[in-house]
Amino acid sequence: MTARATITRRHALGLAAGAVLLPCLGHAASGRRVAVIDWAGLETALALGIVPVAATELIQFRKVVVEPEVPDSVIDLGLRGTPNYEALTLAEPDLILTSNYYEGQRASLQRVAETLSLPIYQPGVPPYTPAEDAALALGRALGREAEARAFVAGAEAEIARLGDSLRGVVRRPVLAINFGDARHVRAFGDDSMFGTVLQRLGLHNAWASQSSYSAAAPLGIEALARMPDAITVVVPPLPPDVVRGLDDSALWQALPMVREKRVSVIGPVNHFGGLPAALRFARLVTAALLRPETARHG
Amino acid sequence: MAERVAVNRILLWSGLALAAAALSIRQIAGHAAAPSIPLPPDAAWLDGVILYHSVLPRIAVALVAGAALGLSGLLLQRVLRNPLAEPSTLGVSAGAQLALTLGMLYAPALMNHAREGVALAGGLAAVGLILAMTWRRGLEPVAVVLAGMMVALTATMGSAALILANGEYLFSIFLWGGGALAQQSWGPTMTIAVRLLIGVGAAFLLMRPLAILGLDDASARSLGVALNATRFGVIGVAVWLAASVTAEVGVIGFVGLAAPALAHLSGARTQGQRLVAAPLIGALLLWLTDGLVQLLAGVDGERVPTGAATALLGGPLLLWLLPRLRMFEWPSLNSRPAPSRRSARPYRLIALFAILGAVAVGLALTVGYGPGGWTLSTGPLLDTLLGWRGPRVTVAAAAGAMLAAAGMLLQRVTANPLASPEILGVGTGAGVGLTAALFLVAAPGFGVQLAASAAGAVLTLAAMLALSLRAGFGPERLLLAGIAMSALCSAVLTAVIATGTPQAFALLRWLSGSTNEAGPGDSWFCAGVAALLLATLPLTAKWLEILPLGDVTARSIGLPVRRCRVLLVLLAGLLTAAAALFVGPLSFIGLIAPHLARLAGLGRPLQQGIGAVLIGGGLMVVSDWLARTVAFPYQLPLGLFAALLAGPYLIWLLGRSDARSH
Repeated sequence: MTARATITRRHALGLAAGAVLLPCLGHAASGRRVAVIDWAGLETALALGIVPVAATELIQFRKVVVEPEVPDSVIDLGLRGTPNYEALTLAEPDLILTSNYYEGQRASLQRVAETLSLPIYQPGVPPYTPAEDAALALGRALGREAEARAFVAGAEAEIARLGDSLRGVVRRPVLAINFGDARHVRAFGDDSMFGTVLQRLGLHNAWASQSSYSAAAPLGIEALARMPDAITVVVPPLPPDVVRGLDDSALWQALPMVREKRVSVIGPVNHFGGLPAALRFARLVTAALLRPETARHG
Repeated sequence: MAERVAVNRILLWSGLALAAAALSIRQIAGHAAAPSIPLPPDAAWLDGVILYHSVLPRIAVALVAGAALGLSGLLLQRVLRNPLAEPSTLGVSAGAQLALTLGMLYAPALMNHAREGVALAGGLAAVGLILAMTWRRGLEPVAVVLAGMMVALTATMGSAALILANGEYLFSIFLWGGGALAQQSWGPTMTIAVRLLIGVGAAFLLMRPLAILGLDDASARSLGVALNATRFGVIGVAVWLAASVTAEVGVIGFVGLAAPALAHLSGARTQGQRLVAAPLIGALLLWLTDGLVQLLAGVDGERVPTGAATALLGGPLLLWLLPRLRMFEWPSLNSRPAPSRRSARPYRLIALFAILGAVAVGLALTVGYGPGGWTLSTGPLLDTLLGWRGPRVTVAAAAGAMLAAAGMLLQRVTANPLASPEILGVGTGAGVGLTAALFLVAAPGFGVQLAASAAGAVLTLAAMLALSLRAGFGPERLLLAGIAMSALCSAVLTAVIATGTPQAFALLRWLSGSTNEAGPGDSWFCAGVAALLLATLPLTAKWLEILPLGDVTARSIGLPVRRCRVLLVLLAGLLTAAAALFVGPLSFIGLIAPHLARLAGLGRPLQQGIGAVLIGGGLMVVSDWLARTVAFPYQLPLGLFAALLAGPYLIWLLGRSDARSH
């Protein structure tokens, strides 16, 4: 009786919202309907084969994070900072994945369903191990422990394999940066996912200090001159006016890494991602470093 | 005496210039000195490249951009006879930024070739709009500044909404919106320098017509000045200067306002002196600020964008100088609101506002936009959604009502029609209090947050009022001080947000003003505070009627003036803090609602208060509803819709009331 009432209500809500959504689509193996606020959580869930019923900022996620791919059935909840609680309620999740950056929303989220916080980024802590822990915790919560363990082990093995392929080829330090505008960059330090992955690949991260946690890009381009030896890997987004600005920039053109063509732009990857982003970055950066024109400078 | 003061000021500016020069020499020396550690062979050459293409052009661009903004501000203030006119208050920078954002999103090819043209078009459009809106009021200063701030706020919010709706990351708005001066070539310096030279040339050619424009229209016409042609010419030059600065280095606040004011305060009396002093002071302000920003930058980068930091330096400077000046002769800012018609049946009007408010609430509760389009929710679906919509609507209504009441109190206490929590910096002051709570207390509860915001708001307000009570501190000076304080508090907030800690994230969410997180507890609390505080309004009605008549009159009828003021300030501070805690500092409702009530015909304090409270609450509910539905499921800034809804109506009313009084 109760079950029937629930289904009827869900059906009514779905119809009223105009969503033609079959309930089974959002079910994980455990039969739980999962909604995701944090992008790192979304990546990790998808990598474990869990299709959430709803998640945040999907337009941008498909552009910035790229893989794992988000099925069309997932409902967009709007901005991560201000998720749309009406849409979230209508999606009827029974578990919501969040992280320590969304503590302020926890009270509201808990009104919809139970929450699971998967903290990956904490100031001063290399995020790779927390990302592994997050994947394992998610596996436990959703009855996908075996998949989670396999994924963690697989990621570690693949990063090790990629590292082997670079051994002896790349001896220079590597610098991972992202452009804020044509005059400012953000450099990724050892407390960032990219910095940690560089380390795991057996590479030397040229940016010795910690990366600032803000999404600000507070370094002037001239700071790159302090690392004349580095091979530079540019992480998108790279807006067109930045490219034009760099073409006109006497300083950029004079930098040793630019003159000697030791700069490569990799595909988009989530800056604050989970284990799938770490793996994607490892693949992208290895491919970029093994490209003949870069490898020449090894 | 006067001479000593003049000498002191010259000493002050020379000191500041020396400090700026020392900072620059330090930066240059960092790259010109022999390296202490062995470096690869081309490191020295690279240091030369950095010095020539980055360090030196950065100093140069600070100087020319500061000078250009100073000159632009001076020209605008002169030609509009308005001490508060400048590129930011007239929406030039915000308009240019909006145009650049639009261009970047929808016409990237155009941006490659005509960046400056796009910025100029945006700036001109903003100023054109403001002039068109206030033309019938004879470009009266109060109306121009009101319209300008409205257009500027709407454009800023519009840029933010565009960036958000396109899914760009939230931080970029706050950080890249602030101008940054890092350079990699001499291009921007040369571009701005050429504009500056043309601007200075034009200003000197127009010196005589400009001086005459400082008089009133009739005298200007009788002296044979082609009034409108000259006016538009000067405005065009000023807008061009500001727009090219925005296109090259981003929005740099405060210099355009502060430089001419500081020039005046420093004793530049004649037109020629000011034309020299304002650009020089603007250049010095920006040069020094940028030097300090670089000095405080760590190895991991700069903490604050220079465009925001100008307020950290210029704000206190202006606040310190303002009360110290006796001979402060602005072109008078007629701050008395135009007499407006009083309704014969005020309570009918109030009933009408109440009905409209109820309709707004009903609309916001039942109508929504979902995955399937617009829906009118009923039955069990409505029950589910009410759990979210109910608290949102309650919080929006209560916050709007409180801001409106605070605005009404402030406008009456200061006898200044432009006073409002937003303009006097009370909302951002509450934000600084909140920041302190977030960083000093490990996990501040709601009570602590409210107490800290209230403390911030009341302290800011008390400082403003203490300034305004000084002899000869006219309404213009209060507004200048308020804008300085507001800019100062915003700069503090920007600096904190740039740290990127989880506290910063919480603060950013607060600043963008969203009722999204409102839960049942919040709504009871907010409604309770609002009811409690608003219930005291009737008790203040008598004071509000008497205080604007002047202290002497007030005392003669036995009113304890000082105690009344303190209580009213406390009340306004509490109202603002409670509201800002829920909807952020950038709403404009506190400025607009009291005016709408007054212009609709509610003249007496209590009637105006009730009217403003109803209008403020209703407007906020509708704005919140629009913010929630327009880009579903993405939510837009609340303040955008508050400004879009109320701004044009306010301007129209201002024009209409003027037409009637003639």
